[in-house]
Amino acid sequence: MEAPPVTMMPVTGGTINMMEYLLQGSVLDHSLESLIHRLRGLCDNMEPETFLDHEMVFLLKGQQASPFVLRARRSMDRAGAPWHLRYLGQPEMGDKNRHALVRNCVDIATSENLTDFLMEMGFRMDHEFVARGHLFRKGIMKIVVYKIFRILTPGNTDNTEALSLSYLVELSVVAPAGQDVVSDDMRNFAEQLKPLVHLEKIDPKRLM
Amino acid sequence: MRPFLLEGGSVSQMPVAEGKNVQQTVELLTRKLEMLGAEKQGTFCVDCETYHTAASTLGSQGQAGKLMYVMHNSEYPLSCFALFENGPCLVADTNFDVLMVKLKGFFQSAKASKIETRGTRYQYCDFLVKVGTVTMGPSARGISVEVEYGPCVVASDCWSLLLEFLQSFLGSHTPGAPTVFGNRHDAVYSPADTMVQYMELFNKIRKQQQVPVAGIR
Amino acid sequence: MADVLSVGVNLEAFAQAISAIQALRSSVSRVFDCLKDGMRNKETLEGREKAFIAHFQDNLHSVNRDLNELERLSNLVGKPSENHPLHNSGLLSLDPVQDKTPLYSQLLQAYKWSNKLQYHAGLASGLLNQQSLKRSANQMGVSAKRRPKAQPTTLVLPPQYVDDVISRIDRMFPEMSIHLSRPNGTSAMLLVTLGKVLKVIVVMRSLFIDRTIVKGYNENVHTEDGKLDIWSKSNYQVFQKVTDHATTALLHYQLPQMPDVVVRSFMTWLRSYMKLFQAPCQRCGKFLQDGLPPTWRDFRTLEAFHDTCRQ
Repeated sequence: MEAPPVTMMPVTGGTINMMEYLLQGSVLDHSLESLIHRLRGLCDNMEPETFLDHEMVFLLKGQQASPFVLRARRSMDRAGAPWHLRYLGQPEMGDKNRHALVRNCVDIATSENLTDFLMEMGFRMDHEFVARGHLFRKGIMKIVVYKIFRILTPGNTDNTEALSLSYLVELSVVAPAGQDVVSDDMRNFAEQLKPLVHLEKIDPKRLM
Repeated sequence: MRPFLLEGGSVSQMPVAEGKNVQQTVELLTRKLEMLGAEKQGTFCVDCETYHTAASTLGSQGQAGKLMYVMHNSEYPLSCFALFENGPCLVADTNFDVLMVKLKGFFQSAKASKIETRGTRYQYCDFLVKVGTVTMGPSARGISVEVEYGPCVVASDCWSLLLEFLQSFLGSHTPGAPTVFGNRHDAVYSPADTMVQYMELFNKIRKQQQVPVAGIR
Repeated sequence: MADVLSVGVNLEAFAQAISAIQALRSSVSRVFDCLKDGMRNKETLEGREKAFIAHFQDNLHSVNRDLNELERLSNLVGKPSENHPLHNSGLLSLDPVQDKTPLYSQLLQAYKWSNKLQYHAGLASGLLNQQSLKRSANQMGVSAKRRPKAQPTTLVLPPQYVDDVISRIDRMFPEMSIHLSRPNGTSAMLLVTLGKVLKVIVVMRSLFIDRTIVKGYNENVHTEDGKLDIWSKSNYQVFQKVTDHATTALLHYQLPQMPDVVVRSFMTWLRSYMKLFQAPCQRCGKFLQDGLPPTWRDFRTLEAFHDTCRQ
């Protein structure tokens, strides 16, 4: 499970606007070892934390054109950890001066009755998957290298199958809005990972 | 950590009916507590905001009129509680308030629906008693009494004991057992159970328009 | 008071002896005076020496004479009696100024008191020997020298045996779960969870219970490093009270030859706290007294009482 970033202090009333800066890339399975090795050298934690998460994506459809999306994650290998509810806003590509994709984000730790509650709110589950991988930290930057598994029978997280022959690599920072400087650090870090992996700002609209 | 909120009986049962206003009744209660030997320990506040599904989503989801309550309790300052009547209670961190702003298009807060209770915390032996004035907008609407018996984690185990304690300072106004006590027989009491009782009390007070009432929770 | 009388008879001799001492002292000082003055001025050196030696001899003779006289007198005086029951302190009774220094009467009183104390202590020790409260199989009254060097057999039970006894007790009470651990060597520590009411930390030495702490079901029983916290007490007054009573129970349930029975009795007694919040006091019929539920459980009947209501 992704831990909420430390920079995010809980607030009442919704005043703080947090943004996620994101760069993405992928590596083939056979290059995983060398990437992990490189990250070990670059990051603060020599030994990466591993994670095994189950993520469910919920939609709330109104009369607006686009539905409201929420992501609920739970750790499958750490019993007793809180559930993680995540809202992600529309991604902005920005101009050439900003080196990462930016989107609004809200991270919430919740009790384990989250799915029941979302259903009660009118949300419906759209899709689910299992993510297994490694987590590295470097300052406020977070690097996750993980593989996505398809769930073959809905709700049964034991019966899964790898979606592809590659690993997804994400470099992200969560910071208050307007701190575009962090994207410079991200670009510098991404440069150091070349040519093992090319991290870029990928416009999800282009893929649709 | 185990609050027991007792839902009050009818209006006539309540001390406020003796020709006193809310403020005087609160003073009467706190004086009785102090005479019992209870010690003041700061203040407390519980608030509740009501949300209903925005007009835009009505019809398409077929769940018009369903109300969602978002509550805070000073006893758990980093938590936010979201509840449905007779539904699940979600315990989240306070970023949930931020999410409600994002959900503005789907859930809107009912106008002037914010209701809260504020008052003093008292400690007597292992009991924690919170007597609060319930206000909605500018007016005081009633009194809430919360009694928490920390050592016991199963609500139904200590109901008789709690009742005896309540009688010592509420006298004949002692309420009947709240529904939470009967629900699950040996479930461990949690902060969410407290919030459910506060929500029920607030709803009751809301319905009793302008009539001063003391809810015992 | 014959001694006192005989001393009175010899008062004359005392006076003579004292003057003899004075005479001895003055003759001795004359010897030193003579030595200090040295030789007197005479016509011839020989004369000087002779006169000095003669003078010195005279002085020494008188010292000798006075000393003999003193010895003679001291025999007359006689030794102060040694068979007085209070020995020399008995002489305090001779002090005529009773009002100013009432030492003698005080001394007598202290003597009587200590005599009585010794007598009562003897009785108590006899009685206690019959009711062996000692938590080991050692015989009371055996002197330290004769105490066997080896530890009593009940203290060196094999850990396997202790495990068996505990797991048997664990199976006996379904509402009670006992978790045994040995963080420090062979001594076992138990974490007993009683329903959803309370948790008890029990520190054992072989099969003897050394210490016990009662805490709430929702209270933390571990220290930050994950070990059982055997020192800090409960935050709730009710469990502090139950801890006190449990410690009393440890002293009550004693049977040095059969330690397993003791542990079982203690656990049976502890189990009666299952209804800690549900049982009213058997004497006053109420739940609360000074804000506390009935925290005492009778050792025999296991009935609930308030601390102040128990017989």
